[in-house]
Formats: sequence, structure tokens, C-alpha cells
Amino acid sequence: MTDAPPIIRLRHLRKEFDGTIAVADLTLDVAEGEFICFLGPSGCGKTTTLRMIAGLERPTAGEIWLRERRIDPLPPQQRGVGFVFQNYALFWHMSAYDNLAFGLRVRGVSPAEVDARVREVAESLELTPVLRQRASRLDLSAMQRVALGRTLVVQPQVLLLDEPLNNFRPGLREVMRGELKRMQLSLGRTMVYVTHDQEEAMTMGDRVLVMHEGRVEQVATPREIYRRPATLFVAGFIGRPAMNFIETQYQVEDGRAFLRHDALRWEIETRREAVERQAPSGRVIVGIRPEDIRPAVLAVPEGRRGETLPVQVDLVQPLARRKIVDVKVLDLVLKMVVPGTFRVDAGQTLDVVMDRGALHLFDPQTLRAIG
Amino acid sequence: MTRMVTESTPSPVTVAPPVPARLYVAGALRLAVAAGIALIFFLPVLWMLSISFKPPAEWLEYPPTLWPKEPLAGNYTFLFNPGNPEGAIAVMTGAAEPVVPAFANSLVVAPLATLLSVTIGFLAAYAVSRFHVGGTFMPFFTLTTRMFPPVAFAVPLLLYYSAVIPRLIPGLRLYDTRLGLILMYVAFTVAFALWMTKGFIDAVPRHIEEAAILDGASRWRVLFTVTVPLVRGGLAATTLFIFILTWTEFLFALIFTQRFAITVPVQVSHYAGAIGRFYGPQAALGILASIPVVVTGYLIQRHLVTGFTFGLVRE
Repeated sequence: MTDAPPIIRLRHLRKEFDGTIAVADLTLDVAEGEFICFLGPSGCGKTTTLRMIAGLERPTAGEIWLRERRIDPLPPQQRGVGFVFQNYALFWHMSAYDNLAFGLRVRGVSPAEVDARVREVAESLELTPVLRQRASRLDLSAMQRVALGRTLVVQPQVLLLDEPLNNFRPGLREVMRGELKRMQLSLGRTMVYVTHDQEEAMTMGDRVLVMHEGRVEQVATPREIYRRPATLFVAGFIGRPAMNFIETQYQVEDGRAFLRHDALRWEIETRREAVERQAPSGRVIVGIRPEDIRPAVLAVPEGRRGETLPVQVDLVQPLARRKIVDVKVLDLVLKMVVPGTFRVDAGQTLDVVMDRGALHLFDPQTLRAIG
Repeated sequence: MTRMVTESTPSPVTVAPPVPARLYVAGALRLAVAAGIALIFFLPVLWMLSISFKPPAEWLEYPPTLWPKEPLAGNYTFLFNPGNPEGAIAVMTGAAEPVVPAFANSLVVAPLATLLSVTIGFLAAYAVSRFHVGGTFMPFFTLTTRMFPPVAFAVPLLLYYSAVIPRLIPGLRLYDTRLGLILMYVAFTVAFALWMTKGFIDAVPRHIEEAAILDGASRWRVLFTVTVPLVRGGLAATTLFIFILTWTEFLFALIFTQRFAITVPVQVSHYAGAIGRFYGPQAALGILASIPVVVTGYLIQRHLVTGFTFGLVRE
């Protein structure tokens, strides 16, 4: 992030379709050169937001600014943004060259200049050898580069990408992801990237905007999103396996603050003030990531060690380098992750500790994080 | 650009590996089966071809033979000059007019009606597919109009053509004119054209058109530079289908023409006389009438086979 003025500013953006709200009230600044990912389940409004920036949808309310220009009243071609579609949406019947030249020709650029600019972009994307090939005959990597090149050739200030890797098989996706990221770094272009794949967003984005039901849940760096989810939705959406949630009641015993669920309790003296202020009802949802519940025999830093808790192992799912273990305690089923080398079998009891520093607290009314 | 996946240049030549013998056998078997099926479908055509070269005495032979014993071209010359048949075909008296006007009529009516129908149907299909014009029920409604038996329309339409139109628009003649037939055929085939082309348009991802719109291309430009090329296989198939339909249409051609606008299918029915049906000239005309359809099919077969190469990534 730089101190330079933001390149894109969205102000109270709203979009309704026939009475249903697709985007409720979205305000966002995107910095020059930033790679920002819009992440959320399908139907959350992320693609609609992207299409509003591009000019494919007209906002019901709100403003879109590109640098010093308000662009939401402008037709798409005057906005200075490029759009890369799902599956690339190339003109399959045209050559790679004609795909790249299309935008310039529509804009009435002279043939000589069209040729010069197409060749320049083709050179930078290593497309020169395949310029004469039909788009439908290109390999996937070349298709991706043509899709990018087609938008770059008209020199957009911002690139918008709508789930460009959506329908590629796993494996290829990762290759393409790396290639895209490299391209972004070398082009230094601001990119807004829509995806429903958290791994994609978390690995590629400088920042991630998590959306849910038309609302922004959180905008932050991937690390921040993972470590300090701002809402219950983000906490449950980010991370695999998903975070465990436990309903608790705030109590003070002997002058010390606890969150209690049945016979389980967590001391939260350091966050007492925040809980009392933000959850006056005393009801708190405790979230803990599976990777923060560990077998007691494996070390947790002494100061952060919670109480040792005997649990019943219910199910063990071995993955390549780790195991996902379902454990039962009281009426709860919790997921935990242990190293692949750790021996554990269904039916046995296991002493576990929870990393006290890794507890996430949420208000069940507002669904927002506490503290 | 730092590093890039570099398999983008395809290897120029791929050498086919040697084909194992059992694949040859399988191929030969497949070919034999295909040839057998083709023969079954082609048999009527061969029979017609054979009869078109047979003299009247051999037309009704039983069992039928494929090769004429005394082949002659008389059936064909009779089509063009039915005035006074001579020699082996001298018995074919008291019949038809020359075939040329009917052919001329058909060659005007069918292609024009096809062109109009496919153009209108395609544009309508585009509106339905992309802008949902007419709502969800409209496309189906257009098809239901084709569920009426045409004969139910025939007489009211005949009255409309001969009694109403001349009063409403003096000077416009639709009965027994090429224009009248063309309008009729367009009206009756446009629903098919709409339905066939709609399927192909639906298969073109909207995003491809949006990509062009983002560059500032007008709707018409998008339509003609992006959509039409992508559905040309479908347009070709639709064109051929509608052309066959109109080229061979009989009922309306029979009812709505009398002398001047007679088409080939009606002409085929005219070959009868003192000795009964003139199967030879009918067969000869059947052969000639097949030629435009075959030629049309041949001309557009390239487009029929190509078409959907963009099934590479799913939408």
C-alpha cells in the first residue's frame, strides 16, 4: 500500500435487481498497483460490483471514481478499465491477432497504429509466434494471455478479472494462478480480481475483500483476514477445515472473567473489558481454528496454554501431511488438525489444549468480532 | 515478462503412429455397415433415377429392375417440350405444360422465402435470447402456431388473399403470385427458424458479446462481427432445413396458385393423361428438383461441419 491517492474509489455503491439487493452499500479505495481480490460465495455481489465498475451494470445508487474522474455515468469504453471474463470469452472465430486488434479497431484507430500496438502487446506477452492462430486453437496459457492482451492493448488504467480460472481443472489452476500473479507483478497494473476460491484470493491478493449477501464483511490483507476475522462469517468462511464455534456464557468467578460452556470454560481476563462492553447480554460465540487445538503432548507455548481437556476421538481423516481429527467433548464435536506423523485412533481419549491466544470471540447478535 | 509457460508454440507436424491391424478390420466393418445404411436410404433415389430413363412400357414392371432395358432421355425432353411426344413416349399425350416456368417460380420463391425467414427468425431469436423480448412464454407460443394443421388455415387464407387483400390494397395481387407464396412460406417457417437459431444463439456465452460491448462496439456490430460468425454453423443448418421445407411445399402451392405461380411440387402432380400417371417424367422432374437441394447442401456443408469449436471451456 502506498500513500498515493487511490486509483479507484467506490462510494456507497448499491445495486438492486427487481427488488432484491445484490450489493447493499459498498465503499472501497483501491491503491495504485494493488492486487485486490473480491472473495465470497456465489451470489454475494462480488461479480455485480465488478460489472458495475466496468460499466456492464448500472448502479442503483452510489459513485465510482477512477482517479479524478467520476466514471459511473460513462459508457464502458470510455472508462479506462479492462475486463477479463470467466473462460476468457475470446472471439473464438478470430485469430489471436484479430482478438487483440478488436478494441482498437472498434475505437477507429488507424490500421498502422493498430498493427504497432498489437505487436507490442503480443511481444510483451510472448504471443508473437501464435498471432495467426485461431483463438479456439490456442493452448490455455496462450488463451489467458490473449484475454489479458486484448484488454491491455487499449491501455486500461485498471484490470478487472472475473473468476478467470473458474473452470480449469485443479492443478492447471495453480499453474495459471502463478502465471497471472507474475504478469501482474511485471505489468505493475492495478487489478481487481473476483473469485469464490479462498485459496486463490489468499495467495494472490495484496488485500482481500470478503463479501456476503451484498455486504462487505471485511477488507484486509490475507494474513489479517485469517488471523483476525472481523465477523463470524469471515471466520467460518476462511480456513479449511472451518473454524469451530462454541456458544458460551460470560461469567465472573472469584473476580476472574470466564466464558463458559457447560463444564468447559476459558479464562479471558485480558479481553474482559471488550466482552463486557460489546456483548452486554453475556452471550459470546467462541471460535477456535482446528489448527489451534493441539494434543497436550505437543507443545503449546507455556503462557498461552489453556487448560488440558480430555476428549474422545470420534473420526480420523488422514491427509497427505496432516490429519483432520473430529473429537467429542460434552455435547460438542470439534475439529482439530494434527501432524500426519501423530498417532491417533478413533475411540481413544486424547488430552488436548487450546491455544488461548487463538480464541476468536463474536457477539451472537451483531455477528461481529469482539475486541 | 519474467517467466512464462512456454508450451505455447505447437509442434509443427505430428506424425501419426502406425495403425494396428485390428483397427483396420474395425474400420472396414464400420464402413460396410455405413454403406449398407446409406444404400437403404439411397434406394428410392436410385429407383427414381432408373425410372426417369425408362420408356412407359417398363414403368410398372414387376418385379422392378434397376437397369432400364431400353434407356432413353425422352422423359427429360418431355419435361421441356410436352407438345408432341414421339417414338417410345408417343403415348404421353394430353398432359402438362413445359416445366420451365414452374422451375423459375420455385427458384425465386424458395430461396427468397428461406432468406427472409432465416433472417427474421434469427433476429427474433436474438431478441428473445438476449433481451427476453416477449417474456418466457413467447418462444413457445410461436411454436404452438405451428401445431395447427396447415389445412385449417388454407381456406380462410385463400379468401383473405383473393377477397380481402385486393380491396384493402388495390394493385397488390397475392393469389397466384410468387410474392403471395413467399409471404405465406415466411409466415409458416419463421417459427422453425426462430427455434432452431435460438438454440445456437443460447449456446454463445454472453460474455463474448459483452467483451465486444466493453470495447464500445454497437449492438449491430457485435451481432455481425461476433455472434453471426459464431453461429454460422447453426444458420447454415437452419437455412438448409427451411429451404427443403419451402422447396418441396405442396399444399399451399396447390391452393394458392393456379397458372402463373405454379411451383415444381405442383408441377410434379400434373403428369397424367390418357395412359394414367406419367411416372417417367415425374421421376425425371424429381431428379431435377433434387439438384438445387443437393447443391445447397453441398455449398454449406463446410459450415455445417464446423461451427462449435468453442466447446473447449464450459460456460
